Amino acid sequence: MTNFTDLTGLASVASATALSFVLLPGFARITKLRLAVLPGAVFVLVLIPFSGMPLAAYVRGVTGDLSITTLVLVWCALLRPWFGCGATDARSRYALLMLVVLAALALYPLALGAGAFDPYRLGYGDPLLVAALLLTALAAWFWKSSLIALCIAFATFAWSAGWYESGNLWDYLLDPFVSIYALAAILMHAVQALFRRGRPPESKPALPAS
Amino acid sequence: MPLKLKTLARRLSTLHGAVFVALSLAAGAAVYGISDRPSAARFQMPVIAMQSSHAPPGMQSRFVSSTQNIHTHAASLVELDDGRIRAFWFAGSREGAPDVEIRSAVYDPVSDHWSAEQSIANREDTQRSLLRYVKKLGNPVAHRASDGTLWLFYVTVSLGGWAGSSITAVTSTDDGASWSPARRLITSPFLNISTLVKGTPFNYSDGSIGLPVYHEFIAKFGELLRISKTGSIIDKTRLSSGNTGLQPVVLIKSPQQAMALMRYSGASPRRVIATTTADAGQHWSPPAKLALSNPDAAISGVVLTDGRILMALNDTEQSRDALSLVVSSDGGKSWKTVYQLEDQRGQHTGQEHYMQAAAELAKATDAGITDAADYARSAQRNKCEVQGCGFEFSYPYLIQARSGDFHLVYTWNRSFIKHVRFSRAWLDGQLEKATHDQLH
Repeated sequence: MTNFTDLTGLASVASATALSFVLLPGFARITKLRLAVLPGAVFVLVLIPFSGMPLAAYVRGVTGDLSITTLVLVWCALLRPWFGCGATDARSRYALLMLVVLAALALYPLALGAGAFDPYRLGYGDPLLVAALLLTALAAWFWKSSLIALCIAFATFAWSAGWYESGNLWDYLLDPFVSIYALAAILMHAVQALFRRGRPPESKPALPAS
Repeated sequence: MPLKLKTLARRLSTLHGAVFVALSLAAGAAVYGISDRPSAARFQMPVIAMQSSHAPPGMQSRFVSSTQNIHTHAASLVELDDGRIRAFWFAGSREGAPDVEIRSAVYDPVSDHWSAEQSIANREDTQRSLLRYVKKLGNPVAHRASDGTLWLFYVTVSLGGWAGSSITAVTSTDDGASWSPARRLITSPFLNISTLVKGTPFNYSDGSIGLPVYHEFIAKFGELLRISKTGSIIDKTRLSSGNTGLQPVVLIKSPQQAMALMRYSGASPRRVIATTTADAGQHWSPPAKLALSNPDAAISGVVLTDGRILMALNDTEQSRDALSLVVSSDGGKSWKTVYQLEDQRGQHTGQEHYMQAAAELAKATDAGITDAADYARSAQRNKCEVQGCGFEFSYPYLIQARSGDFHLVYTWNRSFIKHVRFSRAWLDGQLEKATHDQLH
């Protein structure tokens, strides 16, 4: 019998796979109906077992379960044609990506052995980490950075509920893929801003689409 | 008042309000998550009888595994409820091959007999249970929890080499007759890679399990996982940092005190490194080198009932062709060799001589075997190259059974698992002899 956490893990990978199809060239021009059907079909197809294992399980073997932050961004991108999520709140998205980069830079080098302190240990329910996160989320909510507040809220809720196999809160907040994406997006944004300097002001610079 | 409620409802109906509701729910869930977290626990001291129950006075050896012409490595042991000993190891066409499986056999100390080996886990079954692609299997270690559940932790790799390892766990409630589906332990934030097992697990006073592990992607360091009775990781402590500590062995001295010894993979002089705790593993001292030589190879040990430490290791700096039992009476400061289990130092010979020597060693291990030449051929398959052949006696795993007897298994020329059994009386005799030899 399949564990609940295997289903959620596979669904996370299937969601990202569906999004990767939406981002293929040409998808921007197709109708909303096809835009719903094609990723939906990909989502289902990668979850169907072939010779005992679904395709998503092969991807999951390498990627692991994707963080809730990744899932929020993935589903924002998938639902953007209908709800405009992500495109309308560039400031909130930029703040989230900046926070992801800062957290990743603090977590990964230390967790992989740069120094004696291991911040990953705090993810096993350390009250200080949880309090700091919730305060960050509250501050983000106060300043109307809804995406940050939502990601932290969903991640904390999922961790408490045992949504994935991991019992570590960090795994719900971050993964290497969203960290690399956030770093690339922030760098591209900075480079674009540099190129615009000196030119007459046009429209507000936008972040690359997720 | 009704007006205020209406205003509140309108505000909550906006996205901003909904986010606040989500945040409040998350805060409530987080408080639940934190309150559910187990508090720190003390080490559980093993219960060992002062007198051996059924061991003959000397030392006996046997081969645990029996399959010829196969790569066999990394054995571990666990004592079952009825006093029998179950061994686990990995075997396949070569290390890291897709056909490598985790195998097991059971030793009956009364009849002095090992059962036939059987497969416990393979790559295909593991990946089907985990719903994840698995490329290869590696080191297994077993443990019997306070509630009697048998845990088997083994290394699985989906991506890259051993540095890409993760830990998989299966459990048995009938001492290994049947096993649960495999479960993945999530121990690292970076794709969950690079956590491996080798050291002996132990129990905490609250029934949780201490599992010594190590990391070897970019850096090499030892860690200690604390795993709940249900298999959730509840804490992880770093035993060392930097790029030199591997395969920790935790030696418990008291409910609060322990010493973790690690294989050192840094520059010469190559010595075993050690760290200590005085608060049941919450904090560990900076690691320091001991006087024990070791060629960057696995070690194993136990704490005797009188507080002395008994270790099995390759106690040379250069190679794994000698294996010794050593004892420390002063908490690891000084060590005395009490018995030379294997010694083929520098015996890198031609194939013909190697075959002859390997056959003699096989016969010396178990006088009952009739096919010593086959054992030698298996050793030749795994340990001979164009430049010549070399002996290897490595990856020791030492336990003390409740009866007081010691059981040691190790890799014999990457071809078989060898078992050595000795009593406390035999060990005391060897210690006396070593002291006498030193005085004269």
